[in-house]
Amino acid sequence: MIKTSNLSYFIGKKPILQDINFSVQKNDFVLIFGQNGAGKSTLLKVLAGIVCAQKGFISIAGKNIHDYSKKELATMLTYLPQSDEFVLPIMVKDVLLSGRYPYRSLFQNFSHRDHALFHEAVEYFSLGDLVNRNILTLSGGERQKVMLATAFIQDVPIILFDEPMNFLDPGSIFQMIKMLQGLQRMGKTILLVSHLIEYFFPYASKLLALKNGKKYYFGEKKFSPELFKAIYQVDYKRFIVENREIIFVNE
Amino acid sequence: MNKKIWLLGLGVLILLIFSPFWGTIHLNWQTIFANDSNSFIFWHLRVPRVLLGFVAGSILALSGLICQNLFKNNLATPDILGISSGAAAGAVISIKFKLHFSFFGMGSIYIFSYLGALSAVLFIFFMARLIKNSSLYTFLMSGVAINLFFSSIIVFFQYVFDFSDTFSLVRWLMGGISVAGYKEVMILSVLLLIFLLSVFLFKREFLLISAGDNFAQSKGLNISNFRVFSFLGLALFVGAVVSTCGPIGFVALIVPHLSRLLGASQYTKTIVFSMFLGGGLLVLADLVARILIAPVDIPVGIVTSLLGAPFFLFLLFAQLKKTN
Repeated sequence: MIKTSNLSYFIGKKPILQDINFSVQKNDFVLIFGQNGAGKSTLLKVLAGIVCAQKGFISIAGKNIHDYSKKELATMLTYLPQSDEFVLPIMVKDVLLSGRYPYRSLFQNFSHRDHALFHEAVEYFSLGDLVNRNILTLSGGERQKVMLATAFIQDVPIILFDEPMNFLDPGSIFQMIKMLQGLQRMGKTILLVSHLIEYFFPYASKLLALKNGKKYYFGEKKFSPELFKAIYQVDYKRFIVENREIIFVNE
Repeated sequence: MNKKIWLLGLGVLILLIFSPFWGTIHLNWQTIFANDSNSFIFWHLRVPRVLLGFVAGSILALSGLICQNLFKNNLATPDILGISSGAAAGAVISIKFKLHFSFFGMGSIYIFSYLGALSAVLFIFFMARLIKNSSLYTFLMSGVAINLFFSSIIVFFQYVFDFSDTFSLVRWLMGGISVAGYKEVMILSVLLLIFLLSVFLFKREFLLISAGDNFAQSKGLNISNFRVFSFLGLALFVGAVVSTCGPIGFVALIVPHLSRLLGASQYTKTIVFSMFLGGGLLVLADLVARILIAPVDIPVGIVTSLLGAPFFLFLLFAQLKKTN
């Protein structure tokens, strides 16, 4: 689904990403982690086509990312930033429908399918009470739910998440995880950047560890205390409780 | 909100109908159909003046709203970003150098205003290009700088060149809608219509861009193209208003703010509400300008700034109190 080769990105002369190679299959759930400044967010932005890598190339569904128009790319993948940037009042309904933007040309109205997806999302994410509200009056958890629902309405096979759980309470985090699992069951490919590996490790299918802008590990998910120690300099332990995998910091 | 829009629309309509009767000479409805000087004052001075006030106020309010959308900042309006003063500097140059020509029926003042507004916009973009990874903050800061720069250009030309026409120039710079005829009203009305059409046509794009760059890009909007296109349009509308009425401050800043404070959050409704509010406020300010210390006709720009500044501060405090 996504394949990168020798991907490198510089700001001035400073390398932010160096020779990143990996390939993600359809329906993978990739957990991307690494220290602050390791290049995780930049990697997502490069994959989303928001910034352009100076070296290497990315193929999305077998086609070079530069051969997609902006709108075409937005029908393949979507990117959810660390925090949304809403400062002006917008109705939640308009935010959600903007997920259909890449499918519409200038004079084209929203179609039956657009509205059908919209209603499906409202039901699935239980947004009934929120659709007619101003996005600025929503709580952090509600806003993230709206963003996730917008990604759903956008109906893309690939979803890129940058720390979507920042500032959320544990209840909201687990609600988000459930929704992410739901999206994965629908066959979507998910790449998620997060420090909260305790939360996401059990659900990931692959791991991508970055260190100083370089790939440190990429592969099937496995519990490896050495890997976590190398990245975060702390010891992680694992438990299996009621058939569930739980990892935690053991200091 | 629907009720508020209807009420506001009704209020503005009443204002438009009754304000031409008030001024240095108070008119009543019988005199306006007589064939005398009073009816001339009514039909050829007051009515076009009131109409121009409404149309110019609407354009200013919409340009403020769109500018705030593009910058995602409540302070980003054409006056603060220097687009208005760029237009004014252009007009001053054309007046001072007595450049009289016309191009497709547009006077030289208008063309120079547009070029001034355009150069302000281009400068802001150039600054943003120069400083890589520029944020919206860079845009705002360079806008503030260019505002000061063009203001000094205006003062410079006023000081250096002969004083013969300085009074009329100073008068123009204070902003006024008193000298208008029907031609100006027509031109600005057509522009307002084009402005409204494009604002509705590009509703989805403006919504996306106001939701943030990352969000807009992840939905497939080419944000840099759209920004350039929007600013070229904005310069056109602001340039037209400034060349006709002079720089009228505070309308573009206050009106969108006030609309939101009054609860407008849905795109279409905010647009319509701001348009009525902007038009209505400028007509009202002009009415105050005519009758406050009659027979002196105060330039409307002075009224909007005199009343606008304290009012804006009041709004800020009210908002701060609400959030605390």
